[in-house]
Amino acid sequence: MSESGSNEAYGLLAQFDTPAAVMVAAAKIREAGFRKWDVYTPFPVHGMDQAMGLKNSKVGWFCFFGGLLGYTTGMCMIYYMNGWDYRIEIGGKPLFSPFYAFPVSYELTILFGAFGSLIGMFSLNRLPRLHHPLLKNETFKQVTHDKFCIVIETSDPKYSENETRKLLKGSGSKHIELVEE
Amino acid sequence: MAESSGLDTALKVPQTPRELEREPLVSNGRSLAWISDKVSEIVEGKTPIWWWIATGISGSVASLTFFMLTYLVSTGVGVWGLNNPVAWGWAIVNFVFWIGIGHAGTLISAILFLLKQRWRTSINRAAEAMTIFAVICAGIFPAFHVGRIWFAWWLAPLPNANSIWPQFKSPLLWDVFAVSTYFTVSLLFWYTGLIPDLATLRDRATSKMRKFWYGLFSLGWTGSNRHWSNYEKAYLLLAGLSTPLVLSVHSIVSFDFAVSQVPGWHTTIFPPYFVAGAVFSGFGMVLTLLVPLRTVCKLEDIITKRHIELMCKVILGMGSIVGYAYGMEVFIAWYGGNPYERFAFINRASGPYWWAYWIMISCNVICPHLFWFRSIRRNMIAVFIISIFVNIGMWFERFVIVVISLHRDFLPSSWDYYSPTYVDILTFVGTFGLFLFLFLLFMRFLPMVAISEVKGVTPQADPHHPLGGAKKGGHH
Amino acid sequence: MNSDKSKKSPGKAVKELFALPELGSKFLIIGGGILLLIGTVTGVENREQLAFSWLLSYMFFLSICMGSLFLIIITHLFDAAWAVPFRRINESIISLFPIMGLLFIPIALLALFFDTPHFYEWMQMGDSPDPALHAKQGWLNKPFFILRACVYFAVWSWLGLGFRKWSIRQDKDGSPECTHKMRKLAYAGIYIFAFTLTAAVIDWVKALEHSWYSTMYGVVYFAGSVWVTLAATYLIALFLDRSGPLKPVMGNRQYHGIAILMLAFTVFYAYVHFSQYFLIWNANIPEETFWYVKREIGSWWDIGILIVFGHFFFPFLMLLRIDIKLALPIMVPLCAWNMLMHYIDLTFNIMPVLHDSGYVLHWLDIASFAVIGGILAYYFMKRFSEAAPFPIKDPRLGEAVAETLHEREHQAQTAAAATDGGAE
Repeated sequence: MSESGSNEAYGLLAQFDTPAAVMVAAAKIREAGFRKWDVYTPFPVHGMDQAMGLKNSKVGWFCFFGGLLGYTTGMCMIYYMNGWDYRIEIGGKPLFSPFYAFPVSYELTILFGAFGSLIGMFSLNRLPRLHHPLLKNETFKQVTHDKFCIVIETSDPKYSENETRKLLKGSGSKHIELVEE
Repeated sequence: MAESSGLDTALKVPQTPRELEREPLVSNGRSLAWISDKVSEIVEGKTPIWWWIATGISGSVASLTFFMLTYLVSTGVGVWGLNNPVAWGWAIVNFVFWIGIGHAGTLISAILFLLKQRWRTSINRAAEAMTIFAVICAGIFPAFHVGRIWFAWWLAPLPNANSIWPQFKSPLLWDVFAVSTYFTVSLLFWYTGLIPDLATLRDRATSKMRKFWYGLFSLGWTGSNRHWSNYEKAYLLLAGLSTPLVLSVHSIVSFDFAVSQVPGWHTTIFPPYFVAGAVFSGFGMVLTLLVPLRTVCKLEDIITKRHIELMCKVILGMGSIVGYAYGMEVFIAWYGGNPYERFAFINRASGPYWWAYWIMISCNVICPHLFWFRSIRRNMIAVFIISIFVNIGMWFERFVIVVISLHRDFLPSSWDYYSPTYVDILTFVGTFGLFLFLFLLFMRFLPMVAISEVKGVTPQADPHHPLGGAKKGGHH
Repeated sequence: MNSDKSKKSPGKAVKELFALPELGSKFLIIGGGILLLIGTVTGVENREQLAFSWLLSYMFFLSICMGSLFLIIITHLFDAAWAVPFRRINESIISLFPIMGLLFIPIALLALFFDTPHFYEWMQMGDSPDPALHAKQGWLNKPFFILRACVYFAVWSWLGLGFRKWSIRQDKDGSPECTHKMRKLAYAGIYIFAFTLTAAVIDWVKALEHSWYSTMYGVVYFAGSVWVTLAATYLIALFLDRSGPLKPVMGNRQYHGIAILMLAFTVFYAYVHFSQYFLIWNANIPEETFWYVKREIGSWWDIGILIVFGHFFFPFLMLLRIDIKLALPIMVPLCAWNMLMHYIDLTFNIMPVLHDSGYVLHWLDIASFAVIGGILAYYFMKRFSEAAPFPIKDPRLGEAVAETLHEREHQAQTAAAATDGGAE
């Protein structure tokens, strides 16, 4: 996985006890100019995106285009089936009208929009993945419980074991360890 | 400008008096670790005896549906007592009933999420599960009601040998799309919410089996904030999509009735009235399930009395909207001056099915008003009993709508009294078994409370709160 | 901490602030009043137009009053802290119900005593053989019509003045008893609100065409009313925030909250109105369809399309994005647009009865709007400046402004840090 030469180490993990502590630390890491690093929390921490300097998520676009596709599909399908290929007159209504086609197109908008959002979320997150170096680490397992972690990857150009360790220690972490690849 | 106007810009914020202080969402100041331990315990601990008994009973009851449906398929749909002008029978009553139950789940997970009602986190997982199981129960009825179930695929827009297409002017087809979309999106939403919690279970797992299955289904979730950022956005969008979805589903169910010209069915308030009724009945079912479960699973600190009270208030509100709709229906039936419409309503209240109408009124309009009293909202036994009444009342509402309008149709020569057969009754009873059976499986194998979301609403999760590590007064 | 600077009472400061708008409202009243007088004396045709114009503007402003009443009621029912800072605005609006009662008198007089054949046609029909009217004569008869109007204004005034009274009383000592009183009013109020609003809109708008009926009608008017009220509240709160009185308490949380509700009601209105149209379209029963058929003639068709796009799609798409809800260059015109759309929507409901061939903008429409709007604005400013501009001792105020104060503290800190850094 690791393209850089740092042998068999995935990154440096620093553990924190509270969301406030990890947020302050995250702001410091960002200011230090790291790129390949991340904060790991048991729940989304309010304000962390800002502290990390993340941009607004792009999932919305997936949802929008999914929904658009759904609505178009619905209208076209109904026009083709009832207004074109199999014309059947019912209750004196027009062969095709956007009114009666609306409920189904609406449902398809939502269906495709929902799939769009999820596909967007998974592809932006590069999930699902069955293996991750962090998931083998015992300390890291507490992230889904009640601890907060920052991991700086060895592949980050600014990474150097001693300096980074110092930085993490200075940002208030009491437990720092190297995670194996 | 502000200075010159002489107004005090330094605001003195009044102290909240004790009696108006808000109750915390998690009682007794439980820690983050306590929350995951407590919820995971239900899944990880030894299977309790009561679970085996309950699952055994509900499984056997569920088999009733299976046997009755086998009998129906092998004999004909007539075994459901449908040889009568009330051809919609119990099947459609039950269908609308079950679909309605599901709506509370989506309301809690989606609408309350959009409204930033943080109390939803303790109950949303169970309520969403309930939605999915209720929709499964609901789907059985119209599918078999079509008569020849093996042709049910004709409902789908698939090319077939007759080279004909489904007829999209029919509200029944809208239903097919609405219900299947509802089921799919609810499932996606539920699963999306489950991912971080499955990761919690994965990281706690001790056995190989658990490690494998929870690992597989948690999709490699790490809790990365870059992931959370996209995750939260997707969750918000799913909530944003589920909200119009849940409104549309019961609206479309109401279209089944309201686009017709049948007196008692065709009235413009039907869509919002059905939605309110659905939420009303759904919250009834949520309470029926959670009031005993919070005691049995010792979740009183997570599903607190405040949660129960809030749900009671939702029931009160929805019951009032339903009451308003009943009132409007009756008033406009009179005001509209259509004699058939007027007859339909007189017949509801004083015809052969007067008892059904008055059961509906007492359970749906009168009974929820007991929730005006705080002592009743906080009395778990009373809440449980009223929630059952709400369920009964809402079943009767659908009965009133379907049966009373149809048994006196436009052709007096075909007027008849409709009664269900034993097959009708046992099929319906069986679906309750199925519903409970699925729910019991869920609570044993999956986290019944959204662990990560509950953690997120505790004061320890707030980086600006002293319990979240914020330094008092100062910054940095 | 509080340096004793100018010790002017807040009421006085607000009064100074209102000096110019007050002059404007007086100008509107006088200008519009003169036009109205001309309209009244110049013949029968104008008199009927006057009746409709007055009713249209009246229903528009009634929407804002009823919407305000609803916002106050749900604020108490949901114990919604975030809405406390701007509550006084709506409290001042709902104290105008007695004036609304007086403004109703021209409608009653024109309907009952003047020759206005299209204005509540049922009143002119006497013992007609029209079965649709005959069936509902128990409801649609003159004495009951007047009696009902009196009841509406009585209960609305009772609620409106009651909420205001307890809220102002709380300014003295912040006693929780006042909160409980207001909650009790809200418990009763929500039912009274629902039934009186429905009945009033049936009486005053739907009964213009007495043979038409729809169970959804009250809900449609309700949805539009709350929607337009949110737009109005956003604008008024913004003005009072920018000019001072609400500055200490208004923050992003409040504007965002109003805008979210606006989005919700954009959708809700579309939902209920679409449902009404859709069910009538599908069932295709002549007793119902004639109402919409009439509104597809001539330029009414275009007005209908304008409502579909301007009342729903445009505001919906605008409000969908999170950041837009705080972007004032978009929100301010949007709120104004929403108010226009609600006016158009009411026009679509009321005016085709008089102008069946298409939309006509009459100068009496403008005159009525100016007079009613002017009078209400004048009294609103008067009421608003009588008390503190926000509930200063409300027990939920602290919770409401916590986020705003935190933000401001943060901004002050970063600003201070920036200047420090610059100095070094």
